[in-house]
Amino acid sequence: MSTYKKRQFRLRIVSLLSILVFLAVWYVCTAVLRLAPAYSLPDPITVFQSFVTKLSSRVPDGATLPQHIWESFKIAMAGYLMGVVIGVPLGIAMGWVSWVEKIVRPVFDFLKPIPPIALIPVMITLFGIGIESKACIIFFSTVIPSIVNSYSGIKQTSQIHLWVARTFGASNLQQLFTVAIPSALPMIFAGLRVAMGVSWMGLVAAELMGATRGIGYMISTARNLLRADIIIVGLLTLGFIGIVISLVFDLIEIKFVRGGK
Amino acid sequence: MTMEKKKTVIEVRDVSKTFYNREGDHLVVDHLNFNVYENEFVVLFGPGQCGKTTVLNLIAGLELPTGGEVVVNGEKVVGPSPSRGMVYQTTNLFMWYNVMKNVEFGPCVRGVKKAERRKKAQYYIDLVGLTGFEKHFPVKLSGGMQQRVGIARAYCNEPDIICMDEPFGHLDAQTRYLMEEEVDRISASEKRTVVFVTNNAEEAIYLADRIILLHNCPTSVHREYLVNLPRPRNYVAPEFLELREQITKDMDDTIG
Amino acid sequence: MKVAASIKNFLLSLAGFAAILLIWQLGVSFTSVGNLLPSPWAVAVRFVTMCTNTVGRKYTLPMHLLVSLRRVLIGFGLSAASGIVIGIAMGRSDLIRAIVRPLFELVRPIPGVAWIPMAIVWFGIGETAKIFIIFIGGFVNIVVNTFSGSRQVDENILNAAYMLGANKVQAFFKIVIPSCVPYIFSGLQVGLSTSWMAVLAAEMVSATEGVGWIITAGQQNADMPQILAGIIAIAVTGLALASLMRLLERVLCRWRVRGS
Repeated sequence: MSTYKKRQFRLRIVSLLSILVFLAVWYVCTAVLRLAPAYSLPDPITVFQSFVTKLSSRVPDGATLPQHIWESFKIAMAGYLMGVVIGVPLGIAMGWVSWVEKIVRPVFDFLKPIPPIALIPVMITLFGIGIESKACIIFFSTVIPSIVNSYSGIKQTSQIHLWVARTFGASNLQQLFTVAIPSALPMIFAGLRVAMGVSWMGLVAAELMGATRGIGYMISTARNLLRADIIIVGLLTLGFIGIVISLVFDLIEIKFVRGGK
Repeated sequence: MTMEKKKTVIEVRDVSKTFYNREGDHLVVDHLNFNVYENEFVVLFGPGQCGKTTVLNLIAGLELPTGGEVVVNGEKVVGPSPSRGMVYQTTNLFMWYNVMKNVEFGPCVRGVKKAERRKKAQYYIDLVGLTGFEKHFPVKLSGGMQQRVGIARAYCNEPDIICMDEPFGHLDAQTRYLMEEEVDRISASEKRTVVFVTNNAEEAIYLADRIILLHNCPTSVHREYLVNLPRPRNYVAPEFLELREQITKDMDDTIG
Repeated sequence: MKVAASIKNFLLSLAGFAAILLIWQLGVSFTSVGNLLPSPWAVAVRFVTMCTNTVGRKYTLPMHLLVSLRRVLIGFGLSAASGIVIGIAMGRSDLIRAIVRPLFELVRPIPGVAWIPMAIVWFGIGETAKIFIIFIGGFVNIVVNTFSGSRQVDENILNAAYMLGANKVQAFFKIVIPSCVPYIFSGLQVGLSTSWMAVLAAEMVSATEGVGWIITAGQQNADMPQILAGIIAIAVTGLALASLMRLLERVLCRWRVRGS
């Protein structure tokens, strides 16, 4: 084993120890020393048990954990896909066609500084607390970064590459599809990633403020019932989903985007 | 030249260097031996990836040998020291400081008083021909000008030894000739021991008192040449061309 | 030439802006959009009333804004200070990275607003809970960016400083910190906008004052003009915060600008 590998291995062990120590300190402070009451910070074992129970139990909020996840996932996907399908082509059109830019740009500049979370009351007033209002909020959260990144990605296309394409006789559309879009791909993709983060945040906020199901609803109910264990289960679930999403994005990026740069 | 009378400044004694990384262990320098004398301009010359930079880093103290030792002025090298200055391949300037602050960096960190170090820095800025650019940030300078700042920065610290690692490798041919002349002029007016790395035979012969031809990886000394041509040298003098042909041929052998 | 072009651009976007307002106004006046949205004129009138008269029990709109800004400033200040320190420490020391990173990766993917219920359970519904939420929102972004910045410090430049005689402390303050500054700023920029979102969310869930409260209060009374006037105030303030940050960045990162 080389010296480099030995060192990396040792650092891995330190990382592992770090998590173990964190869990141990948490356990000792809560279960042994009882520094915090269980309704405020339960010990890690209780949290784990709650997690296992919640996988199949509808108590106390009327749905199991997988059902909550599915509900949130459904809404997130619906709003997200809508936002991407509209936002990316619109952004590309804005970057490539100047009259589209002239028309859309003002509307866009007008809406861009509004945090999606601030739209929650508007949507709830207009559509109630159902799926439509949440999907709209996620749509809004997604469409803005999708447009921003596609637009600036296309705008940053190297003039030299376009010239090369033109000397080979590429038409305007061919230049767009063979040069501009591929070279903007990494940037567009970064936008989709940002959009995912923002829309996930918007969804949780929307569910905290008005919902009948979903992870946000689960933790907000748990708060009213002083069930900190379920709040923590909810937070960790959100974190886990976040990791899975970013892994999926990594995979897609390696497969489709790397070569585009 | 009468090398026997000169004081030995750098002794590279049986030096080996192995790198450890993800791919495993990698021997780059293998039992290397040579000396450099006071105020001598030595060029380490060799093909592309032959570990010349590593040798320079070992002298500078940025890397430590895994076998043997480098001795400078009778002391073993155990780390970087302001007595050994470095000019780099890519412009390694502090982009957040203007030209003046870059040049006076060495004296500044060693606690030299402001008025004194300003005066000294101004002297070297004038020497490399950058008068009037003191307040400019490096991004606004051309590649050749940035390299001039790098040279002034190294000299301003008044080191015993100056290491130059292919300082003109990234410049265009015209600027390169100009910079070679500048270095020749500066090293004539500011006598220092210089160790200069390059893979350009013409540059080596133009600048060197002595050329050390290194083997391809793992690096060791292949051959040495004393260059006794009068300065400033003429690129197309018969002796120049003859030496150039000889060295180029020997270099092909090291790769072959 | 440049000035003329930028004036032209400004006039164009002003015209676009006016066009949006006009279409909105016409839509409300002549179609059924009016059932959903109030007219821009009504919103503007409301905005002015909210600035002069109190909204809720004691504050006018600017006062509510100040309350929210104060929270953001405290929370964001804390997250900037700790985030920069932790980010740099993680970037520059293998040991600290090995210790802190797994714990940080646990927290990182959790959306900031999801901490709201937890914060309320831990700290009650007072100021502490809100500042905690704002803190978390900014913290994650600032650490991520500072960390990647301090990982990208050019070792050759660091070596150049050592070669010139700098000691560890000097190299840290004269080389590591300045070369991280651009990254730190992009972290601060994202962190600030997330903090601004977080304060809204926190105030919307539980508060009796602040701009977030204004729009939820509007929602509870089905008072659309109040919601929209609140949103305008929020958007304008958000823009102002971002511009302020960009200005600060431009001053501190002058050395990166190529042109004269």
